Amino acid sequence: MLKKISGGHLAAKYMKEVEQLGIVFTLSGQHIENLLDGFTEYNIRTIDVRHEQAAAMMAHAWSVYNNVPGVCLVTAGPGFTNSLTGIANAYLENVPLVVLCGRHPLRDDLKGALQEMNQIDMVKPITKWNATCYDIRRIPEYLSIAFRQATMGRPGPVFLELLPDILFAEVEQNLVDMPLRRKHKTSTQPETSELEEAARIINSAKKPLFLGGSGVGISDCGEALGKFVEKTGVPFVLINYGRGTLPDNHSLSLADGGFTGIMAGLPMTDVIIAAGVRFNWVLQSGQLFPNAKVIRIDIDPHEVDRNRPADIGLVGDMKDVLQRLLPQAEERDHGEWINTFRNAYTAFMTTELEKRKTPSDPIHPSRLVDQIMAVFGEDAYYVVDGGDTGYYGLSGFASVHRAGVLIPSGGLLGCLGTGIPFAMTAKLTHPDKPVIVLNGDGSFGFNGMEFDTAVRHNIPIICVINNDCAWGMIKHSQEISLGDDRCTCAELGLRHYEKMVEGLGGYGELVTKDEEIIPALKRAMDSGKPACINVLTDPKVTSPATILFYQGFAEL
Amino acid sequence: MRLSLLLWGLYQWLWIASKTNKTFKKFISKAKVRLMIKTEDGKYARLFVFDKGKVSTETGPDHQFDAALVWKDSKTAVSVMLKKSQEAIFYAAAEGKLKIEGMNVYALWFDDAMNHLI
Repeated sequence: MLKKISGGHLAAKYMKEVEQLGIVFTLSGQHIENLLDGFTEYNIRTIDVRHEQAAAMMAHAWSVYNNVPGVCLVTAGPGFTNSLTGIANAYLENVPLVVLCGRHPLRDDLKGALQEMNQIDMVKPITKWNATCYDIRRIPEYLSIAFRQATMGRPGPVFLELLPDILFAEVEQNLVDMPLRRKHKTSTQPETSELEEAARIINSAKKPLFLGGSGVGISDCGEALGKFVEKTGVPFVLINYGRGTLPDNHSLSLADGGFTGIMAGLPMTDVIIAAGVRFNWVLQSGQLFPNAKVIRIDIDPHEVDRNRPADIGLVGDMKDVLQRLLPQAEERDHGEWINTFRNAYTAFMTTELEKRKTPSDPIHPSRLVDQIMAVFGEDAYYVVDGGDTGYYGLSGFASVHRAGVLIPSGGLLGCLGTGIPFAMTAKLTHPDKPVIVLNGDGSFGFNGMEFDTAVRHNIPIICVINNDCAWGMIKHSQEISLGDDRCTCAELGLRHYEKMVEGLGGYGELVTKDEEIIPALKRAMDSGKPACINVLTDPKVTSPATILFYQGFAEL
Repeated sequence: MRLSLLLWGLYQWLWIASKTNKTFKKFISKAKVRLMIKTEDGKYARLFVFDKGKVSTETGPDHQFDAALVWKDSKTAVSVMLKKSQEAIFYAAAEGKLKIEGMNVYALWFDDAMNHLI
């Protein structure tokens, strides 16, 4: 008798045996029941969350921390719509994310079926590829296409709709072709003449800077980048998902300057090697450095001249391009320039550095970050989620690990709520390392309920809330633009988030004094539970990021 | 040139521009910024106040500010400021002749404002 397999099991079988999938982020639903059962059958771990946007965000983070596409599975209708924010975020961040989604049965189309809606047209603008599979025998083929589309060229999220008509149906296994995992690699390479010209510019630079973004992280080019910067002596700043590709404490890293260092130093450079980074609003569309020669390295040729024409554009995978550039680059020592750069941004950060080292009442956010660093140091993973909070985390946290400091809310979507999902994935990836998420009290609200997920799945992250009892960035912007007496929808008040976490089975403490921060963090770590340390900080402090945020709109 | 004279002249320039320079007027129209320029010893100090299009000033070091350019000495301040260049400011900071107290982003804003005048 021929062996039969259901569509859901077939999908799981393909992902386990061909894509070597080990984990899926999901929330259960009737339409996808057979696929969930397939995960059990094929021993694929499932992390079920409390809101589908967290599933998409956790899978997104899995891609970042593990350099393989993360997978999330959501059910039809509201499961699908709930996931849209997470998918949009992955789309704007060019992250390979595979979204599998249930749908109403084809049998019931146009009959008013439960959760009947046109999901594909809704998801089209925020996915790199999307499709509906109608044939049980072609499930592996569709999945194969989905995984390739997510990862090849410029990565991005893909969306595959799987009908219950095929997930619950059965097929004889010998009728199904199981595609092989694609092993051969194709690559785009820059012209030799372009590499030579780039090397000539780099070799003649006096004040160079390597500015690496997410493309550096996704390429996982740490070794090649290390050889390149160490030979050329070019200092570097790695941002977005590129952060930590080389450790923050590398002698050529200028990570400790944070946002201030970038803003102060970029206009002074004579050569910028911009690698896997977009000249978007954060970098003022590339207008910050009008006099510098710019070498752009990017997997996407359309990015090379975007917003600011490049002097040389090198199109290709980061690791490959750096390896090809290396033999032509000459050994240099830019120590004097690096000292100048560091001294300048240190002088610009005078007050911020003082605040870090000085206890204050109420607690200054810079001091809070400094105290967290004092406990966990650089052998830890940090995630930051918030507006003002993002600024303090960016400049204050440091890690020796790849993606050791991430501020996912600082991406193009400005997606608050990403902190807790990212931190949980960081902990799942690195269970032996401390994982700390610094949340604003506003941003905590979006996915705070995911502490239930952390408790159920024993994911002991430590969430520190920088609690100014308000939507700080909005409130301070409104104070400037509207006046102190006309702030609208900006106050949150004191809420005991730590008690909420305790109620869910985690560990919680409220901190109001400087001297309480470190002992509370240690107790949180010792508890072994998912923990929330709710720290009341100075509500009057405004970050430089707020001022830039406000100015951006004030000029309209 | 004495620093006090330079700072007074700077204020006059800003005040006139706030009345006559169209692009500068637009740039400062929504800004509320208190920027101090002073020497480390506080001997020379002037506060420039931008309040939604209006420019005013106060002398002396004891005023609240959003950002302060704190010069090591008046001679350095004069020589660097007369260069009217962001690069000169950057190198002065790198050489320990200048530090910025408060929020440096306001100093960058002030630099942008000055660029509308040059």
